[in-house]
Amino acid sequence: MSRGFRYDAVVIGAGSAGLVAATRLAQAGASVAVLAKGVGCTHLAAGTVDVLGYAPELVSRPLEAVAALTHENPQHPYARIGQQRIGEALRWLQATLDAGPLAPYTYVGDADHNGLHPTALGALRPSALVPSTMAAGERTQLERVCIVGTPALRDFHPSLCAANLSRAGVQARAVSVELELERADMSTLGIARRLEEPRWRAEFCARLTPLLRSEERVGLPAMLGLREPHTVHADLEHRLGRRVFEIPSLPPSVAGMRLYESLRAALRAAGGRLMLGAEVVSHTREDGRLSAVQTGAAGHAASYSADAFVLASGGFASGAIELDSHWATHERVLGLALDGVPAPGEPRFLPDYQAAQPLASVGVAVDAQLRALGASNVYVAGASLPGAVPWREASGEGIAVASGFAVAQTITGGRERHG
Amino acid sequence: MVTLTTDVLVIGGGATGAGVAWDASLRGLDVVLVERHDLAQGTSGRFHGMIHSGGRYAVKDPLAARECIAENRILRRIAADCMEDTGGLFVTTPHDDPAFAERFAQGCAQTGVPCEEITPAQALREEPRLHPGISRAFRVPDANIDVWKTVWALAHGAQQHGARILTYHAVTAILRDGDQVLGARVHDQRGGEDLEIRARVTVNATGAWAGRIAELAGIEGVRVFPGRGIMIAMNHRLVNTVVNRCQMPTDGDIIVPIRTVSVIGTTDHHTDDPDDQTVEQREVDQMLDDGEKLVPGFRQARALRVWTGVRPLFEDAKAADTDTRDVTRAHALLDHEQRDAVNGFVTITGGKLTTFRLMAEQTVDAVCRQLGETRACTTASEPLPGSERREHYRLGERLARKEADLNGEQLICECEMVSRQRLEQVIARTGSTDLDDIRRQLRLGMGPCQGGFCIYRATGVLHARDGLGADQADASLMAFLQERWKGVWPVLHGDQLRQARLDEWIFHGVLDVEHLPR
Ligand SMILES: Cc1cc2nc3c(=O)[nH]c(=O)nc-3n(C[C@H](O)[C@H](O)[C@H](O)COP(=O)(O)OP(=O)(O)OC[C@H]3O[C@@H](n4cnc5c(N)ncnc54)[C@H](O)[C@@H]3O)c2cc1C
Ligand SMILES: Cc1cc2nc3c(=O)[nH]c(=O)nc-3n(C[C@H](O)[C@H](O)[C@H](O)COP(=O)(O)OP(=O)(O)OC[C@H]3O[C@@H](n4cnc5c(N)ncnc54)[C@H](O)[C@@H]3O)c2cc1C
Repeated sequence: MSRGFRYDAVVIGAGSAGLVAATRLAQAGASVAVLAKGVGCTHLAAGTVDVLGYAPELVSRPLEAVAALTHENPQHPYARIGQQRIGEALRWLQATLDAGPLAPYTYVGDADHNGLHPTALGALRPSALVPSTMAAGERTQLERVCIVGTPALRDFHPSLCAANLSRAGVQARAVSVELELERADMSTLGIARRLEEPRWRAEFCARLTPLLRSEERVGLPAMLGLREPHTVHADLEHRLGRRVFEIPSLPPSVAGMRLYESLRAALRAAGGRLMLGAEVVSHTREDGRLSAVQTGAAGHAASYSADAFVLASGGFASGAIELDSHWATHERVLGLALDGVPAPGEPRFLPDYQAAQPLASVGVAVDAQLRALGASNVYVAGASLPGAVPWREASGEGIAVASGFAVAQTITGGRERHG
Repeated sequence: MVTLTTDVLVIGGGATGAGVAWDASLRGLDVVLVERHDLAQGTSGRFHGMIHSGGRYAVKDPLAARECIAENRILRRIAADCMEDTGGLFVTTPHDDPAFAERFAQGCAQTGVPCEEITPAQALREEPRLHPGISRAFRVPDANIDVWKTVWALAHGAQQHGARILTYHAVTAILRDGDQVLGARVHDQRGGEDLEIRARVTVNATGAWAGRIAELAGIEGVRVFPGRGIMIAMNHRLVNTVVNRCQMPTDGDIIVPIRTVSVIGTTDHHTDDPDDQTVEQREVDQMLDDGEKLVPGFRQARALRVWTGVRPLFEDAKAADTDTRDVTRAHALLDHEQRDAVNGFVTITGGKLTTFRLMAEQTVDAVCRQLGETRACTTASEPLPGSERREHYRLGERLARKEADLNGEQLICECEMVSRQRLEQVIARTGSTDLDDIRRQLRLGMGPCQGGFCIYRATGVLHARDGLGADQADASLMAFLQERWKGVWPVLHGDQLRQARLDEWIFHGVLDVEHLPR
């Protein structure tokens, strides 16, 4: 027996695109449920909101560059979202964090400007919005910097990061702090939890202080607390007597988890429901519309009907789009048509790793309103969209946030209760 | 120009060349081995990974079958630590001629390959993923071998007996004075210099490249026809036994479990270039289809990586003049003193990895003959360094080591259980700054994530080594990514594409490798 539920809108996927869309829908007064197999890429990603970093040369003014990009590539998601809404979406995100459980931790920057922020390799990566805990690492503010790691953290190598920063003209050096930890292997998440203990944090600072030189900023992997990042960051700056910034490193992403938690709180505050472990396994279509989706296995099955659906189930990375062993591509959640698939006989990949890979920009075929072709009440957001190569453009979270924002606006016709 | 002198110069650092160096140095000869790349980067590092029981050749090529079983027994003694005793099965699937099974059993009996028939039900209990429609099943002593470990053990063993091993040294000319070969001119690919190596006897152990080296020596008619074959590694042990189809040897009829993966192979296409590493789409499709015939659902497993090896198939254009005493159908030993009246030069090519030791033994016998010396071969009883305890490695070994010290050790590569300590040791020991060299020694980045996590970590560890600049570390990282991609993209689909996309997000999104300072 399957149980039936009815909502104004059902969102599939709990990555940033799905959570933004659902929160906006709920804020506009709609009853909303998010159905997700699990969490999305937030837990893996850098945690920055990159609007457009490379086109393909370095972009310093993203919104301006978006205009040129979409002129050249009208299939790009931004062409359908529009410059103005990208800006609006980012400002909404900042306001949401300002009012969220982690405040005053927030995102700083704007869609008109990119800052350059160090990566764990010591490359300088362009981002429009970064967590406030990363802000002090922006290139124009960086003269002298000490990159700090610990041997227990295999996912961050301070000397390599510092050496590449030096090559880029920053006066950078590295130190490694021995920490008392229960195991030789720690993830940034494990250390983030320890840093939330005031005594452990004080001990960390006491060990680090003698290693620092005057005038140096301190760069650390993104691990300054999960629940109280502002407190941890402010306390570190206070104790060390200097600006401190975070650097994204390998998954799990503490900064991304903070974004997820903030959006989840905003969704809850607006009255939306989030259901994890709810994989959409089948669906019902009527007259070119989607009427319901079903989750879960027999015994726990449930059916959700809605007027509108948002498909924010991600691309190849989340498994929602698949290339099978006979080289056919499928949208696996709702069986929708795809766009950007190389024709049979055309190469899917090229031997040069750095080349633009033909299969890269596959996504669900949509119209100008981001509606899925063949399913007039299904709106598509985030990495499910075709036309972009976000990991090369540095546009992943920008597309996710802006498209989630945009589809919610289209569905509600601009209605809004508050916010 | 620097000149080295030695008794024996070995050209080629595959299993055969390393085997010759080990054998000759054990017999008290002074040896220099040169290899144009790293050790085992030719066919030996691009093969299917199995030590044959001989079953595969029992019907088609009885002499090869006899050699295989004899060497199989010897290798279990001398290279125990490099081998996993998986055992092998020959199974008659619904796709195979049922009449072949009888001929197979007879062939094994005649060639002395131990072969025990078991019921299909028993075979399916042991290997539940096998095609449920198998009608016959035979157990044979096939095994797998870690070829990098083996070749490095041979090289280390030879070094302990005074041999000099020069990797990244390519032979560019053979030095010849009249009917006497004097050695070779060699180019140091990394240092950039040339050197001359003078030797009493020069051994051409360059496998599929042997015709080219013979040509450099001015010797005619050594024709090696490279036969190209692909293999695909699937992400886990679909079978724990080497599984062969019971039929005349053909394409795609063996699945070999090696470490944490299973490898299906292979194809056979003629090519003119031994460096040809093409992988054709239709070959990939063929292997996936063939996999389904042995293990239904094969296509649903993750295809991790594909590679190409080239068989050295020898044809002697001077066959009529050859003394065939030393030439078996399995491999070709050319004593050029006898064949061409050119002294101080021996070519060994063809054969199988399984028989490398025998090939080396016969080669060094020919070397001694040319030197007019008698020195007995001891490789059939002398264990390789690391194999003294005569214990085979087991799949769970690395895991057991890690579990014994769960919190004390840092894992750099989770898929292959490579600890930071071991990585640091290998970096220090080899002095290599090439992550790809290190990969071959440790299997770093060869598991399901294909380096997504461990390669940044390994680059960091590598850079922490004294004297290595960030530019070198970055270059090594980029080269690794390209090298890895080469084996990944032709088979990329399904969950492995999902993994590749995550890796792209890590390298381009989080780390921005594309925009490292130049
Ligand atoms: C390692 C990594 C690093 C990144 N780095 C950056 C970066 O530096 N900068 C940047 O801007 N972006 C980055 N991104 C990209 C960014 O995170 C993504 O582009 C963006 O999050 C996409 O969000 P999404 O919501 O569209 O999809 P996802 O985050 O992929 O979410 C998909 C959701 O759909 C769910 N789902 C899938 N199938 C089903 C189903 N059948 N039923 C129910 N639910 C389903 C999943 O469980 C998940 O909740 C990175 C991503 C990764 C993986
Ligand atoms: C697809 C395939 C699958 C196979 N599977 C199996 C199997 O499962 N079991 C088995 O027993 N056998 C198998 N074989 C056969 C086996 O791999 C080979 O017979 C064996 O590896 C040959 O070793 P080698 O040392 O003679 O040649 P190689 O390993 O090719 O060594 C020759 C070396 O010479 C070097 N060289 C070339 N030119 C120069 C130069 N100018 N200067 C210096 N060095 C040079 C090359 O770089 C190379 O490293 C397989 C072969 C193929 C192609």
